[in-house]
Amino acid sequence: MKQVLYILCCCLFFFSCRREFTVTLPDTNWDIFNSASAKPFAGFTRSKMEGVYTLEAGSQDFGPSTAAKWSYTANGLDTVYHLSFFLERASAYFICEGRQLDSAILLNGYWRRMTTTETGKVRLTIAKGSGGKQLLSTSSFNPLTDSIVITGVYSNGDNNPDLPIRMRYIKPLNKAKPFQILAHRGGGRSADLLPASENSVEMIRLASQFGATGIEIDVRLTKDGVPILFHDATLNERVSQQNGLLGPIENYTYAQLSTLVRLPNGERIPTLQQALQTVIYNTPLQFVWMDTKVHGSLEFLRNIHAEYLAKAAAINRNVEIVIGIPDEEVLKNFKLLANYQTIPSLVELKAQDVRDINAKVWAPQWTLGLQDQETSLMASEGRRVFTWTLDVAENVEEYMRKGNFNGILSNYPSIVAYYYYVSP
Amino acid sequence: MYRLKYCLVFLFISFTSFGQDEGFSSQPQKRGEYGWVLYVSGGAGYYLSNRGAPDYLERKISNLSHVSNIRIMWHPDHLLKVGLETGHMTFYSYRFKDSTGLSGKAKLYAIPVLIEWTMAVTKRLNLFAGSGVYFLRTTLDYQGRTVSPKLSIGWMAAGSYIHPLSENVGLGTEVKWMEAAETNNGIVSLQLQLVWKFLKW
Repeated sequence: MKQVLYILCCCLFFFSCRREFTVTLPDTNWDIFNSASAKPFAGFTRSKMEGVYTLEAGSQDFGPSTAAKWSYTANGLDTVYHLSFFLERASAYFICEGRQLDSAILLNGYWRRMTTTETGKVRLTIAKGSGGKQLLSTSSFNPLTDSIVITGVYSNGDNNPDLPIRMRYIKPLNKAKPFQILAHRGGGRSADLLPASENSVEMIRLASQFGATGIEIDVRLTKDGVPILFHDATLNERVSQQNGLLGPIENYTYAQLSTLVRLPNGERIPTLQQALQTVIYNTPLQFVWMDTKVHGSLEFLRNIHAEYLAKAAAINRNVEIVIGIPDEEVLKNFKLLANYQTIPSLVELKAQDVRDINAKVWAPQWTLGLQDQETSLMASEGRRVFTWTLDVAENVEEYMRKGNFNGILSNYPSIVAYYYYVSP
Repeated sequence: MYRLKYCLVFLFISFTSFGQDEGFSSQPQKRGEYGWVLYVSGGAGYYLSNRGAPDYLERKISNLSHVSNIRIMWHPDHLLKVGLETGHMTFYSYRFKDSTGLSGKAKLYAIPVLIEWTMAVTKRLNLFAGSGVYFLRTTLDYQGRTVSPKLSIGWMAAGSYIHPLSENVGLGTEVKWMEAAETNNGIVSLQLQLVWKFLKW
């Protein structure tokens, strides 16, 4: 009996360690793509490439179709463009950069499946005779007579890419109804092992590559009153690297957090101003939902809100920023602001609360259902309805098809992007 | 983490081969005998990771710290016993300098409150396991002083060897592992332990 007990104790010790998951994006170095003869192409080429493609090869891994959409990241005068392919199967996406080589177009990047740790290289080509020449010319693209065929290879992990993929253009992206694809926590969660941490400036720069047209960010105040982005109420290892600092984030000053706290991928906790600056000057994002997790006066938030709306207007950037009201306490403090009914806001509470403060957006939780009657009423009042947080592809597809929402908040904006852009 | 596991298993096997003496024992001596036993222990603990401080700063981590515990167990007339433990322990602390040369100090300590189970494997050797909560506290002295609390669930496991000094008193050593969920890694401690059966009937 004792021997059995000893063996059980030993087994407990040896097999009780946690498994740690990681995602290391593959090395995307492709000699021909990086050669001096491969050059950037013009904006009109990018516009013509956007569309819905059917997968003639590779569908076993990525599904029957994909929506291809360009985004950009601006760094001063240097702007990098990415073509994202949002795929139907298992919330996968490709993110590629593009160059032209003579009359052909090369697309180089990686793929990632959000629900697993799978990733790999993607190398694609649009040959001269498969639409390359047409795309690179200034003449307009006629989807009825012209065709685009993208061929190439992909790999699993860092292996040499040798799995064939072939995509054929079938129609333009659906943009019939204005719709916000909102990415949770600035673009995605740290738990999903993305290349940047949630609620970081680096994540905000990536959000549009994942399909987002807007972001939700979590606003908290430090002990010395600096507004920062941080989701959890307390410091912990899910959202920051180990540093011995625990407890409510409001207990620490910004200087302490800035020196000692790094997010899981090594970034600093950003201030709200840094985040909004990034949205306006570095990304094509159009909507910012500031989820207010602040106790007390919202005066500071209104001032920052007004300042950054003015900054966006000054450079003709169409960015809508709203103060999110998630609970009764924040609602009460919002109502203490002068002329609160003129401040753009988003309310997660009852529909009547939306009307009381003249909020622009009502944001009910998705578990409340499609809410057809209330969404119609809101539309008739000139308000929009965003639902949150939809992460399962089947639910996104159903809410997109049957619902009357103006936006969906998701941890996986690529799923929402796929169903929005491919819908008839 | 694996080094700790090998160490504990080695100690566990080694202790089972020790001789059996008369005097205080955690094993029940006869049917119908009940008692309360107080364990008071103190010693040194070692935090099992060097990841506790930001590696981009000039810093000095102190993994070695004091650990003290007090435990009260109900000893019935069968092998398995139950009780409560509390104490004070420092997981780790570190001193650092920022890029401007400004120095600071951070410390993470805890008061655990755990429900424990124990069983005497031999007359002298005991195993303990428990779970409960750790009242964690960070103190940070850097550009001001911050004290920040956090509650965490946690666990412990220990093995002790108790040498009898009299019928009701023993002196022992205890090897113990303690971990709170929020600290990610635990500490292993070696403590000197005074054991006193202060009530029996």
